[in-house]
Amino acid sequence: MEAERWRQIEHLYHAALEREQGQRTAFLKQACAGDEDLEREVESLLAQEDGGDRFLEAPALEVAARALAQEPAEATNATVQAALLAGRTISHYRLLEKLGLGGMGVVYKAEDTRLGRLVAMKFLTPPAPRSSQGQLERAPEHEPQALERFKREARAASALSHPNICVVHDIGEYEGQPFIVMELLEGQTLEERIGGARGARPAAGGEPVARQLGEGERRSPLPLDTLLDLAIQIADAVDAAHSRGIIHRDIKPANIFVTSQGQAKILDFGLAKLASLVRAPGDSSVLLHRDDNEGAQAATEKTVPLAASDLSISLTGVAMGTPGYMSPEQVRGEKLDARTDLFSFGSVLYEMATGQRPFTGDTGPVLQNAILKQIPKPVRELNPELPRKLELIINKALEKDRATRYQTAAELRADLEAVKQEIQPRRSVARRRELAAGAVAVLLIASAAFWFARRRLQSPATLPEIRLRQLTTNSSENGVGTGTISPDGRYLAYTDRKGMHIKLIESGETHTIPQPEELKSNWVDWEIGPWFPDGKRFLANAHPPGLDATEWTSQGTSIWIVSVSGGPPHKIRDEAYASSISRDGSTISFETNKGRLGDREIWLMGSSGERARKLYDGGENSAIGGLYWSPDGQRALYENIDEAGPNLVSRDLKGGPPVPILPPPEAKKLNDFLWLPDGRVIYALRELDPNADTCNYWQIRIDPRSGEPVEKPRRITNWSGFCTAATSVTSDSKRLAFLEWRSHTSTYVADLQASGTRITTPTRLTLDDGWNNPLGWTADGKAVLFFSNRNGATAIFKQSPGQDTAEPVITPRDGEDLVGSACLSPEGSWVFYMVGPKERDPLAPARLMRVPITGGVPQLVLTANIEGGPRCARSPATLCAIAERSADRKQLVFAAFDPGKSRGRKLAELKTDATADYQWDLSPDGARIAILKNLEGRIQILSLNGRTPQEITVKGWNILTNAVWTVDGKGLFVSSLKEGGSVLLGVDLQGNARILWEHTGGLRTYGVPSPIGRHLAMQGWTGDSNIWMMENF
Amino acid sequence: MERSAHQITRLLQAWSEGEQSALEHLIPLVYEELHRLAHHYMAGEQPGHTLQTTALLNEAYLRLVDSPKLSWQNRAHFFAVSAQVMRRILVDWARSRQALKRGGEARPLELEEALVVADAPGADLVALDDALKALAALDPRKSEVVEFRFFGGLSVEETAEVLKVSPETVMRDWKFAKSWLRRELSKEKPVGG
Repeated sequence: MEAERWRQIEHLYHAALEREQGQRTAFLKQACAGDEDLEREVESLLAQEDGGDRFLEAPALEVAARALAQEPAEATNATVQAALLAGRTISHYRLLEKLGLGGMGVVYKAEDTRLGRLVAMKFLTPPAPRSSQGQLERAPEHEPQALERFKREARAASALSHPNICVVHDIGEYEGQPFIVMELLEGQTLEERIGGARGARPAAGGEPVARQLGEGERRSPLPLDTLLDLAIQIADAVDAAHSRGIIHRDIKPANIFVTSQGQAKILDFGLAKLASLVRAPGDSSVLLHRDDNEGAQAATEKTVPLAASDLSISLTGVAMGTPGYMSPEQVRGEKLDARTDLFSFGSVLYEMATGQRPFTGDTGPVLQNAILKQIPKPVRELNPELPRKLELIINKALEKDRATRYQTAAELRADLEAVKQEIQPRRSVARRRELAAGAVAVLLIASAAFWFARRRLQSPATLPEIRLRQLTTNSSENGVGTGTISPDGRYLAYTDRKGMHIKLIESGETHTIPQPEELKSNWVDWEIGPWFPDGKRFLANAHPPGLDATEWTSQGTSIWIVSVSGGPPHKIRDEAYASSISRDGSTISFETNKGRLGDREIWLMGSSGERARKLYDGGENSAIGGLYWSPDGQRALYENIDEAGPNLVSRDLKGGPPVPILPPPEAKKLNDFLWLPDGRVIYALRELDPNADTCNYWQIRIDPRSGEPVEKPRRITNWSGFCTAATSVTSDSKRLAFLEWRSHTSTYVADLQASGTRITTPTRLTLDDGWNNPLGWTADGKAVLFFSNRNGATAIFKQSPGQDTAEPVITPRDGEDLVGSACLSPEGSWVFYMVGPKERDPLAPARLMRVPITGGVPQLVLTANIEGGPRCARSPATLCAIAERSADRKQLVFAAFDPGKSRGRKLAELKTDATADYQWDLSPDGARIAILKNLEGRIQILSLNGRTPQEITVKGWNILTNAVWTVDGKGLFVSSLKEGGSVLLGVDLQGNARILWEHTGGLRTYGVPSPIGRHLAMQGWTGDSNIWMMENF
Repeated sequence: MERSAHQITRLLQAWSEGEQSALEHLIPLVYEELHRLAHHYMAGEQPGHTLQTTALLNEAYLRLVDSPKLSWQNRAHFFAVSAQVMRRILVDWARSRQALKRGGEARPLELEEALVVADAPGADLVALDDALKALAALDPRKSEVVEFRFFGGLSVEETAEVLKVSPETVMRDWKFAKSWLRRELSKEKPVGG
């Protein structure tokens, strides 16, 4: 519209309004002078102007709030939640739209903003009734510890990698409500499919709205070939899960998704138990389910009997199992094992075959009675076209007595496959007969179809069906350290906190290797190395204790030979780190001579340690290691680390340059690698998953002569939430053993008592499973400041004990990461912290910043190679300091810093061991610096006002990892390691130590006191690790 | 309370300086306010108790807007940014509610129905947003007047301050814009809807 016209309209509008209502029409007619469009336009606007109503008068926020409040009274909490959540960003997921609402919770389509992919996000929540006042109840409460454990379990389930199991990407918690992030699927649930729902919709975890089967609803059997296709896929998935010790407990059509491509995907594996914890408020009748024997838990568990009053809850899926599909043992509340899933699956098969459920009942007790006693009508009475064999299969799956039922999903699958093979040739024959084929041809076709069916199941065109098996079942208090499989696949040699063990994989029989006499008084961390080809002996590296596996080098390490037939290990070399044994067993490769970046040299020696000779020397500015031989023994594969980062290189053993194998961005993520006897190079890459450790295996083939890759790297696993290490393989290249590990840190808080000599029982402040490391307290001592990666990038948060949620204080800008540690200014009004560019070179300088603790614009203080992070004394002292490591790492220089004036005066310096790491802390009065050489038992105290330096030897503890001054400056909170965990000690300046906290199973800990020393915030670092075996990869 | 006002001020400033991620941090804060108000209504406040409502809203806006440590060039800038943020967040919220309804839920929330109760017939926030965009193309200032008044909750005087025009001009713009918007909205939907 022309501006002129618009002005005209507006002018006439106001002019007309100034006149009496009765005169407006006449006025307009005259003013418009025959321009009817204009007249109509103004008329139509005037028609809206009759005043009286409140259009746009109430502010938008009120309008929206009223809309929300006018929600129909019987709507569920979940609905309101759904409305509130849509459009929100939780963690790094942006919720886009709701896909479904079911008993187990609300499902959203969401965008993973970090990886840029679409996912389905399910919030586990029961429908919450309104209270009598009509207000919404708060989200249901969970038992935090139980929830934790089930989250762990759900994570284990999420590790299931099978094409017919819906991939779980992530598990988290939002305002106390657990949520699950999984792959977004397109299609419909089997429930909808059988119910005759039309049209595909995107969903995952897409439980339909709980509903009763209405009169008019038509349910019909599936076509036989579809039924068999889906059933075989489901059986295969169930088998894969069972072989990893995971029971579904709630197999039903609503939990089976059929994608638009006809692929079956089982949803919610292992989550039925989790759901059982999410109970409706005020309802104490909901069964809470526990099992106290963790070891045997994979196989059996206990449920509380399901009373009739629980049934309504069951109907909403809150209790475990869904009534129509429960097994008799589930109804009776007996211990469950994998066979419960087979019964439920039998019910699903029955429904797929007939369109009807095998057991029905109007009330809970009738239905339960049917499950316990009734023999369902034979399927062929309802659908006569079904093969008799299928009827037998369904009958066997639905046996009331689990001893006469199918015992494994694999048997069930095999029987289903047999039916499929029987019907397929018949069909082919029917078509071929028209071509007048003879009996011989029929036979040929029959076997071809058989062959085809077998091949298709293993076709690499789809995802390979990797089979996984857990070889060790250690608890998180006693995680497995390392382990390797013997070449014949008979033995697993592994280590844990109790020593070095050999396990016969088939029988599970395990024996422990005696500790050699000379190590009895010396605690070492054993690492299982490669096996000799005879499968009777292997190498083990004895590392100095307390190091993280990524810190292992040849320094302080010795190589030992261990025999399966018993007897203590014997040492063949010191200051050496074994990496592999040649395929003929004659030569051992090892690393030695630790430099700035790691071991500098690769050496070879005979199988008893004789004839040691240097093979490669990486020089002062690089590290090399982990040599493997090619299948023909002509080339070497090893890792090379230099200023540019790590890479995997191969090299002709007779000479020639190293050939890099991975593209540099991939190489940076290299975690583990292996050259398989069948020629494949398998390697693990660590993924950018800031919420969890995630590693996946890749494979690549390289030309044995040139060493160049001959194919693109291919990812062979699709895991998330854990990393792998210690990869080993059998000589037939068919079984790969690896350590699966995951870890996280939490911030705990406790009160200091009795002049700081003991603490109250610590409570866990942070509940997420990321990294949560305390750095200090606010000046009023009311809130803890800590680093956390809960929202993706590491940020600094603030949270008070007693509060459930943390508030971000410092969030790095895009392209930057927080690095090192942080501290508060002496009076507590500023936070000093460090930032560096993302993926920065760890040796590059970082920027020291400051920002008011109340928020504001960050200011640069200075740029330097800061060791650790800034430290400040406490008010009334004013000193703040940094430590800088010299380029040759041989000196640590302490300097004051003053915001605004950049680096201040030099305070002190210390000669250091270039290969070691140091921790330090400034005393609260600003007069002393405590310095700790990592993993030693002594603490240096440097005086900043001319007194003589002091050295504290901590009595009874010699592997220290951290030291922080107490508030009164009369002692230190010192962290140490012991066998079986870590400890936090209160140490006075004479070295007398008192245990404050035993962090059993903890990898590390440290403590930070509040400003007046009343509270203590502590880091707890825990992990789970076990050995798994992967086949068919 | 004051702390959260600081936080909001800081986030609004970051957003006005082009930091998109600030909006994501603001969303939960606005939602919190929204939820709080909704709870209040659910607890038995009847629509029409305008005094109550106004008091509540004033509190809400004080919290959102009246930070004592405004480090802004002027109050006007702050108001303008708040109104824009409010519009973005509430319209997105309403849009997601519509998606929710399309999701085939058993008991969809009738936003229109709720708005009838709130004495604002036919004013669907999403449709209103679209109509406002159309208005902005014709007459940006009128669209801003509506944005500040309806989404920002500003008074006529405050709106005048932001736009640097007289309060009379704001009133005229406001009157005309409401008529125009209402007509546009009734075009899209049959009257009575």
